[in-house]
Amino acid sequence: MATIETKALDSIIASRRAMLIGGGAVLAALATTSSAKAASTVTAYTDADILNFALNLEYLEANYYYLAAFGITIDAPPNKASTAAGASQLLITGTGTQGGPVLVKANPQIPFKSVAVGSYAVETAVEEGKHVAFLRDALGVSGAIAQPQIDLLGAWNTLAMAAGIGATFDPFASDATFLIGAYVFEDVGVTAYHGAAPLISTTPAGKKILGAAVGIHAVEAYHAGLVRTTLNFLDPDGALGLIGLTQKISALRTTLAQAASTTLVTSDDIPLTPTTAPTMVMLNGASASATSIVDADPVTVLGFARTTTQVLNIVTGGGATTAGVKATGVFFPAGLNGLFS
Amino acid sequence: MDKLTQLYQKSVSRRNFLAGASAVGAASVLAGCSNNGPYLPPTTTTPPVVPPTPPPAVSDADILNFALNLEYLEAEFYLRAATGFGLAAGDVGTGAGAVTGGAKVPTTSVLQQNIINEIAYDEQQHVKFLRSAITAAGATPVDRPVIDLMTSFNTLAAAAGIAPAFNPFADFNSFLVGSFIFEDVGVTAYTGAATLISSSAILSAAAGIQAVEAYHAAYVRTALTGSAIQAAAAGTVYPYLGYANQVSALRATLGGGNEVPLTLPTTVSTPSSIVAADSKNAIAFARTTDQVLHIVYGSLSNTAGATSPAAGVKSGVFFPNGLNGNITVTQS
Repeated sequence: MATIETKALDSIIASRRAMLIGGGAVLAALATTSSAKAASTVTAYTDADILNFALNLEYLEANYYYLAAFGITIDAPPNKASTAAGASQLLITGTGTQGGPVLVKANPQIPFKSVAVGSYAVETAVEEGKHVAFLRDALGVSGAIAQPQIDLLGAWNTLAMAAGIGATFDPFASDATFLIGAYVFEDVGVTAYHGAAPLISTTPAGKKILGAAVGIHAVEAYHAGLVRTTLNFLDPDGALGLIGLTQKISALRTTLAQAASTTLVTSDDIPLTPTTAPTMVMLNGASASATSIVDADPVTVLGFARTTTQVLNIVTGGGATTAGVKATGVFFPAGLNGLFS
Repeated sequence: MDKLTQLYQKSVSRRNFLAGASAVGAASVLAGCSNNGPYLPPTTTTPPVVPPTPPPAVSDADILNFALNLEYLEAEFYLRAATGFGLAAGDVGTGAGAVTGGAKVPTTSVLQQNIINEIAYDEQQHVKFLRSAITAAGATPVDRPVIDLMTSFNTLAAAAGIAPAFNPFADFNSFLVGSFIFEDVGVTAYTGAATLISSSAILSAAAGIQAVEAYHAAYVRTALTGSAIQAAAAGTVYPYLGYANQVSALRATLGGGNEVPLTLPTTVSTPSSIVAADSKNAIAFARTTDQVLHIVYGSLSNTAGATSPAAGVKSGVFFPNGLNGNITVTQS
């Protein structure tokens, strides 16, 4: 298959990679002067580094859903709820520094009231667990990073404060708060995999990884669509305040993404809109009101992509604005494991 | 990366297995055309048959034009459902084929109307984006092919065993079933195309559209599941969930497996089935262009009664005159 086209492709990818690396160096230089803009000092990376970056995020998501649906972390022995759902006990060992027990409130299992929301939580927990298992399997025993320290307790309060939601927030309190917690993660997962896809190498092995990565990307978008649809159903006109929360969270995510980018000036995060103040679109030249289930660019309607540094800055709540310094904070108080950290 | 190679081999063999299973499924679906009961997955002991033929080399523009055909179909479906009118003349090419069928769906709430409007807008913009991206890549966007939004649904509904006739524009629930036909297919098509694309910029764009299709698919699957849960709580049955699963079974037959039917959760601890992904690793399915063509043409083979996919299928159902571009005829 070594055609002219694949050779051209290799050169395009190589130049794009060089550009990204160059960009990182420029950003690093910026940071050493005054304005700390990004933490990317990564100059060479492998597909395994990209998969390990994703594995950090999957550890976070899987633990959130396991705790909400089953009341246990992913590495805990199975209990009645996780066994009934077919969710596996997962390994969290590997390279880097393994974190201690996940920080979370006592008895986090949510007493779901709605069959719909409860069943969605169970489904998502199982699927995110499988993503952890898949990535660990793909990386091999010696290649997978350990689960870093994860905070699902104080992190929520810090984020709630930063987003202007309030001094505290407990996603494990109810059906609605669970969905808001899920909203925090899912669209970020979509943008992270989207941003990573073009970084994956174009060797035959890389193409296999790419296939898996875009497949996980789609599943994250299914999850995000599920969460957004359900919030929209529960609070179509915004009277319950749920749509307002999504708007505050999206605004914070954009702020954090912008802080980790020299080029992002507009929003890269579209929240839900209520029927009382709907999104307005043009259908064949005529204005029409619309929902905002999809988180995508308002003109091209392509999903957003984020760089690893932007994603790092979001999941650490602003920890990735100093180049060369490991990003820590919020969900990852000791930082991520692996090269992209 | 030896481990990954092994995993890949495993997934390929799984897909071959599914393709084999689907051939058996085809027989049972065809035999059960008049059966209105719930779809039961076919039991099979058939071993893998023939590995899929690798697709011929294609350019990025060919892939984008293939996608443009599918986006024309979706945009015409949703725009007509939203407004009663299809794509504007400026968005379809000078030699555009005619569109048959389609009407504004009567809605019972602002939320319903806003949702149809959103998806219609998204697909309209995808058509505009792809046309401009293809032009920017130095190629020519294909014109809209002839599209059938009337007889196509009747044919598919009959083949799926739902009813002899089906109008997805009749009401909101029927619209959801009509949407279900398209959305998961769009996800599998873009997932499959991603690894064929050479340009990283085009890959990123394709991934961006893939995500949006998955958001749409999640919407449709969540709405169908949620309505079924509500009905069950009220002691009634929501038949549209069953219809969607009959559609899913037909797609599995035509498109090499790659399907996960919806379920009806009965308690807060029963998992739902919103995501259509491989149950082993929760990774979304990828379909080849051939598998997508078999689905949108509604045919496995030009040989009547055939139960395995064959080369040479070039038109049918939604596209009575076939697609436009360089990927229009099945190679396997």
